[in-house]
Amino acid sequence: MKQKNRVAATTNWPLTILLIVGCLTVIFPLYMTIIIAFKKPSEMTNDIAGLLSLPKTWSLENFAEAMRVTDFWHSLGYSVMITIVTVVLAILIHSLAGYAIGRSMAKSRFYKVSYLYIVSGMFVPFAILMMPLVKQTAQMGVDNWFGVILCYLVFYMPMNVMLYTGYLKNIPIALEEAAFVDGATTWQTYWKVIFPIMSPMHATVAVLTALGTWNDVMTPLVIMSGTGANTLPLAQLTFQTQFGTNYNLAFASYLLALLPILVFYLICQKQIINGVVNGAVK
Amino acid sequence: MKKLSRNQTFLLITIPVLALFFCFNTLPLIKGLMYSFTNFKGFGSYDWVGFRNYADLFSDARVGKSYLFTFKFAVVATILTNVIALLLALGLNGKIRAKSALRGVYFVPRILGGLVVGYIFGYIFTYILPAVTGGSSMLSNTKTAWFAIVIVAAWQSIAQTTLIYISGLQTVPEDVYEAGAIDGATGWKSFKNLTFPLIIPFFSINLVLSMKDFLMVFDQIMAMTKGGPAQSTESISYLIYNNGMGGGQFGFQSANAVIFFIVIVAISVFQLNFTGKKEEQL
Amino acid sequence: MKKRLIATALVAAMLIGTVLSASGCSSESSDGKTHITILQYKQEAVKAFETMQEEFNATHDDIVLEIESPNDAMTVLKTRFIKEKAPDIIGIGGDVNYSNFLDAEILMDISDFEGLSLIKQAYLDIDKNLEFVPMDGIYAVPYVANAAGVLYNRDMFKKNGWEIPTTWDEFMDLCETIKASGQQPLYFGFKDVWTCLAPWNALACDLAPADVCRQVNKGETVFKDEYREVSEKMLELLEHAQEDPFAYNYNDACTAFANGEAAMYCIGSYAVPQIQSVNPDMDIDSFVMPGCDTEADNILNSGVDLQFCVTNECKNKEAAYEVLSFLLEDSTIQTYLDDQNAVPCKNQEFKLSPALDGMLDYINEGRIVDYQDHYYPSEMSVDAQIQTFLLNGDVDKFLDKFDTDWVRYNRDIIRKVQEYEEKGGNK
Repeated sequence: MKQKNRVAATTNWPLTILLIVGCLTVIFPLYMTIIIAFKKPSEMTNDIAGLLSLPKTWSLENFAEAMRVTDFWHSLGYSVMITIVTVVLAILIHSLAGYAIGRSMAKSRFYKVSYLYIVSGMFVPFAILMMPLVKQTAQMGVDNWFGVILCYLVFYMPMNVMLYTGYLKNIPIALEEAAFVDGATTWQTYWKVIFPIMSPMHATVAVLTALGTWNDVMTPLVIMSGTGANTLPLAQLTFQTQFGTNYNLAFASYLLALLPILVFYLICQKQIINGVVNGAVK
Repeated sequence: MKKLSRNQTFLLITIPVLALFFCFNTLPLIKGLMYSFTNFKGFGSYDWVGFRNYADLFSDARVGKSYLFTFKFAVVATILTNVIALLLALGLNGKIRAKSALRGVYFVPRILGGLVVGYIFGYIFTYILPAVTGGSSMLSNTKTAWFAIVIVAAWQSIAQTTLIYISGLQTVPEDVYEAGAIDGATGWKSFKNLTFPLIIPFFSINLVLSMKDFLMVFDQIMAMTKGGPAQSTESISYLIYNNGMGGGQFGFQSANAVIFFIVIVAISVFQLNFTGKKEEQL
Repeated sequence: MKKRLIATALVAAMLIGTVLSASGCSSESSDGKTHITILQYKQEAVKAFETMQEEFNATHDDIVLEIESPNDAMTVLKTRFIKEKAPDIIGIGGDVNYSNFLDAEILMDISDFEGLSLIKQAYLDIDKNLEFVPMDGIYAVPYVANAAGVLYNRDMFKKNGWEIPTTWDEFMDLCETIKASGQQPLYFGFKDVWTCLAPWNALACDLAPADVCRQVNKGETVFKDEYREVSEKMLELLEHAQEDPFAYNYNDACTAFANGEAAMYCIGSYAVPQIQSVNPDMDIDSFVMPGCDTEADNILNSGVDLQFCVTNECKNKEAAYEVLSFLLEDSTIQTYLDDQNAVPCKNQEFKLSPALDGMLDYINEGRIVDYQDHYYPSEMSVDAQIQTFLLNGDVDKFLDKFDTDWVRYNRDIIRKVQEYEEKGGNK
């Protein structure tokens, strides 16, 4: 802890300022998004000064209308449910798979091949899988939110298994051996020793998986069609029709959808940093 | 109950995972492979056409052009993204103030949806940049449009790449730096000799992940140029989606997807082997 | 700690799941009534269709009508066919998708539906022409159409005393006059490639045979001959565009036109709502693209925007016809027209949007020809090819490529057409 204090005391100010200046590349587009979300369609122009100016009134009307059009709470419910279940299952299943494969692939050909098999799945263009998946999920009776979760578990498996096995390379096997000596099984060792140590990676996997599922349109569109259920991105398609787009409502709606995932990211980010403290203690 | 051996535990984990993966990835892929030998439109009746789709593929100038564009785009974007993301990760991992807030801000681009990114950057390239530089829009010129997409795609994916680098940096124990500092290793030297070797697994993961994302670029193209101007920014995925799903070329584009899949797998196996050897050397 | 967190998250998710599925749809067809589902692709008309559905269900005891207006309906529709859960009736556009659906043999022959006699012949003909190979029977009820040509700012025209052009020379002179007055004659959104098709289609109606694609498929002519004048006139139009029209998209062009930055805009009636969202008070009118040298040769570009087809999956044809009859009632059509800017295909006078004033005579006389791009396979990306051509200005290169690509992308269709012709054609 003492070291930690000393580190915190010496702030690298030039770096801090540089990073804050760099933020402009994000803040500027974000500023445009926010002001457009507050404007009326009749305030939209093509000249720069007009577009960058503040809205005439800061009314929340667009947000209320966007929530009404997308049936916000209902769609949010589906999005949250699908995302949470996917993330939790991904952390449990993919970390286990990453552990089993990562710890064995140096020695065993079977695991090496399994690893390459799963990772190569990442490169299958979704377009080729789409129609067969639609048919398959319908035949299995899971052409609903549950089928979407199953698909996500498979789609994100390659990336997550890669991340977990990569992380495991830096975790010394000696940590596990100590547990074996105490008579623990591999299964117990995993949950007691390895799983907690990997928490920065769990947080990373959680963020990346959550983001992918939260923003995805295509999978729920084709798999859940006809169930009457909508996720948020699916409901947001309403703003874009063939011959017209209501950017003001759409941007308001995107901002609303952005908040939950940003909060989730910030929580996970804390986990990633906390993980270091734990790691440093060991 | 008999205690399971380490290998048995690993098998019990790996086999169901492989089964799930097979069911929702390989099985539909095989069906897609089948469609690549038909003139299937995506619905209704179809005929078998043998290898015609594959023969066409190799004589189709448009497909050839899309491969050239996609690879040029992916290589440049991968390099740009990884250089910036690595610098950003080092910065955000440094001794700075407002760390959480800064990390939060730099993550926002990844969350913004395609409609927002398309509109905002479309506006920046069409109106703001020409006004600042006095030139014409990058997006209306066949020589520069691809780079505009590189900028936007990199802007969005730097968030994810940085996150993975940051979690990688957490595995570098603090005492490595201290030991290094005693030896007088600072700045570039410390990075090259101490930090970088330890995060090589993450470097290779990021290379593969971002290369894959960029090779499959679709959203940014839909948002920015829809393949234009003059068909100069049609990526492979763009053709597969638009002509396969949207148009009536499902069979032909399935063949395209199969070939594309084989090409990327070959590249990534090469990439993984290459960085894998690097890891072993260190 | 970690485990408790995970458990809590799972429980929370399951709770949401229960709530959602409890509040979800519970209308199982166990009520002994016939259920008819319509899936229609005009998402923007969802309000009108909700009203229609209520109206229908309030007046019919034995049939329950469910209308779905999903986002990205064409993708959803294709997945429904794959899932073998196709709706009874589909509402789609009269375009190449319809031709493909016909070719895939998933639509029902509805020639015994009485309501067809109420439809304007011109639109029935347009649908007939969309068949790759002439088929027996009728497969769609044209519902509403849209029209394309040139939209103009009525106030600007009045203020400057400009006349509506009726021939190509008048049109070009008008553009010169407008330019000379220091104003912008035309504005294009060619960054969105599909907008290149709007002037293209309108000119092709005037200058090329209506069934040029079918003639080419039969091997009777080539595009190089038929589309030359269209291509050359496209280049002439481009001279009157704003600077770098390829930098601006459809939305930019709508906004610019709405804000009075240009006097005219070559686009269809479908753009009016988007333009008026920016400037609700704008007085927009339209005229037919004057591509010919005499007014009498000009033809309005109009195609079926929404039509209803019964799918082969439909179990109860009588009930489906009952629904179709309801949709064709004057009051139902008026419900749609009040909500959407459209031209009804029913042979009857309706009150139309003032933006169509300049096209009214053509509509009433049936002087209309379908959009040429309704015959183009979408994977050929003719819109992108036109954009390429407009960028480099090489007519010969463009038309040569058009002909070779056409043969390549329509190989199966050309084979079918020629087999049909060999068997004796439609004689």
